[in-house]
Amino acid sequence: MVAATTVQIESWPQTIDDFDRLVAATQDELVHFAFYRLGNQADAEDAVQDVYVQAFRDRTKRRRVTEVRPYLFRMVRNRCTDILRARSRKSRETAGVAIHGGDPLSTMVAHEQARELARLLDQIPEREAEVIRLRAWSELSFADVAVAVGAALPTVKSRFRYGIEKLRRLLQLEGGTPNEPFE
Amino acid sequence: MNHSNEQEVLDRIRPTQRIAASNSFRERVMKAIVEQNAQEGLRSIWRWRSWPRWVLVGCAGALLLLLLPMLPTGKVAPKSPGMALLAQSVQAMSNVQTVHIIGRIRTLPGDNFELVGAEYDFVPIEIWREYTNPPRWRVEKPGRVVVMNGQSALLYISSINSAMTGSPEAGFVKWLRPMLDPPSILENELAAARQGAAQSAVSESNGVTTVALRRQAQGNFANDWARNKSIPESDHTAVYRFDSGSKRLEGVQIVVSLGGTGVVVAEFTDFRYNEAFPQSLYTVQLPADVNWMTDSAAKPALVSLNGPKEAAAYFFDALAREDWDSVLQVSPGTRVQSVIKQVYGGLQVISIGEPFQSGLYPGYFVPYQVRLRNGETKTWKLAVRNDNPVHRWMVDGGY
Repeated sequence: MVAATTVQIESWPQTIDDFDRLVAATQDELVHFAFYRLGNQADAEDAVQDVYVQAFRDRTKRRRVTEVRPYLFRMVRNRCTDILRARSRKSRETAGVAIHGGDPLSTMVAHEQARELARLLDQIPEREAEVIRLRAWSELSFADVAVAVGAALPTVKSRFRYGIEKLRRLLQLEGGTPNEPFE
Repeated sequence: MNHSNEQEVLDRIRPTQRIAASNSFRERVMKAIVEQNAQEGLRSIWRWRSWPRWVLVGCAGALLLLLLPMLPTGKVAPKSPGMALLAQSVQAMSNVQTVHIIGRIRTLPGDNFELVGAEYDFVPIEIWREYTNPPRWRVEKPGRVVVMNGQSALLYISSINSAMTGSPEAGFVKWLRPMLDPPSILENELAAARQGAAQSAVSESNGVTTVALRRQAQGNFANDWARNKSIPESDHTAVYRFDSGSKRLEGVQIVVSLGGTGVVVAEFTDFRYNEAFPQSLYTVQLPADVNWMTDSAAKPALVSLNGPKEAAAYFFDALAREDWDSVLQVSPGTRVQSVIKQVYGGLQVISIGEPFQSGLYPGYFVPYQVRLRNGETKTWKLAVRNDNPVHRWMVDGGY
C-alpha cells in the first residue's frame, strides 16, 4: 500500500485560496477513508465534498480549531455515518462505480475489500471500529484519532486494543492467520 | 496480545489499494465552495440594501457564471492568480446592472456578425446589456443592428432595408452572443480549457490581470473554405483583461493566428458599467417599406428541391429569368431587393460545382461561376442550408 502523505494544517482555513490548498492537501486521504467506509467512489466523493463545503460554511465558527486534519476526518466519519444510516433505511447499495485510475480488476478488488472490511468491523462495537478504521486505514496517530472521535487519548488506545483483540478472535474463528491461542 | 499479532490483524484490515480522488474532484469541490461563498455574499447584500430580490438573484447567477470557471483545473493555470481573481471578482461584480461595451471588428459593414477576416478593415461595434429580468440588449455596427427588448429580438439590416424578428435566443448576433454577458465569457472559454479544447494562462502585472486562452479552429476542414472566416473557425487567442483594483472585465482582444502571425480581428476596449440606458435603446425605427424576412418554414412551398446543388441551380435560374417569386422560394424575405434585381437579374450561369461542407456551417457551400449583366464574371460559393424545421433548402448568402 502506498502510504498516505501526512499533512500539517495548523489553523482552520478562512479564505477560498486557503480552502483550495486544504482540498489539494487532504482530498486523497479523505476520499480513501470514505471509500472504504461507503464502498464506492461516487458516494465517497460526495461525502467528502459535503464536508469541505460545511467546513467552509463554518469557517468562522471553527476559527479556533487547530487540529484541522483530524477534525476533517471527524466530519467525514460523521457524514459517512449519516449516509450509511440513510442507506440502511433504503437498500444497502455499495456497488458499481469504477475507482479513479483503476482497471476493472483493481476496481473489483477494492470493492470486494471494502465489503469484507465493513463485514469484519461491523462485528465489533462501533466505538472500537471507528478507532481502528482511522488508525489502520488512514494511519492517523492516536492523538489525531482522539480528536477525530472526540475522546481522550487513553480511551482511544484502549478502544483500539480491545477492538484489535476482538478482530483477532474473529479472524481466528474464520480460519485467518492470527493464531494466538484463543483466550 | 503481542505486537506481532496486533500487526497481523492490522495487515488484514488495512486496504491494499490506495484510493485517490478523481481528477475533477478538486474542481467540483471548489465550485461548490465558491457557490456557497456567493450565496453568503448575496445574503449580505440582501440585508444591506433593499434591492428587489430578482435583481440580486440575477446578479448572483451572472457572477457565478463568470467566476466558477476560473477555478483552477489541470488545464487552467496557474492556480493562485485565478483563485484570487475569482474570490475578489465575486464582490466586485455584485453591483453590475448594466454594461456598455465599445469595440471594433474586422468585418464588412452590413454583413452578419459572424464574419471576420484579417483582410477587412475595422468597423466599430457597440453592445449594451441590461441585467434586468428578462434581460435586454442591443448590438450595433454600421449597417446592422439587433435589439432584444426582453420578449423578442429584432434584426434590422439597413443596407438592404430588411428586418426579421425572432425569439430572444435567435442567432442574430452569432459568436458575439457571449459578449452580451461578460460574466459568461470566461465560463465558455475556461470550460473549453478544462475540456482540453483550449490552453490558458493567467498573469498579473501593472494593475492588470490577464487571462489568455488559445483555441484551435473548430469545425470540419476537409475543405478549408470556411477556415478563418469566423472567430470560432480560426486558430485564435482571446485575451481578457481585468482591472486588478476593481476586478472587473475591462478589455477583450481576439487575435487570429495566420501563418505564424497574429492579427487582431476584434477588440473591445471600453467597458462602461452601470450606465443608465434610455428606454429607446431597445427599439428600432423601421422604415415603412421595410422588407420583412420571414421564417422559411412559414413560407408556402411551391417547389420541392432535392439537395443543395439543385437549390443553387433553381436560385440562379430564377435570377436569370428574373422570376422574383421563384427567387423568394429559396431565399428569405417577402420581396427581392432592387439592388439584387439590378446586379443579378438576367445573369448567365457558367458553371455550378459540387456542394461541400466546411467549418461549422450547418449547410453546404456550392461553387458557382456566373456572368452578370454588366459583363463581369463572378466566381464564388453559394451558402445553402436546410436546417429549418421543414428541412427546406434555402440560400443563405454567398452572392
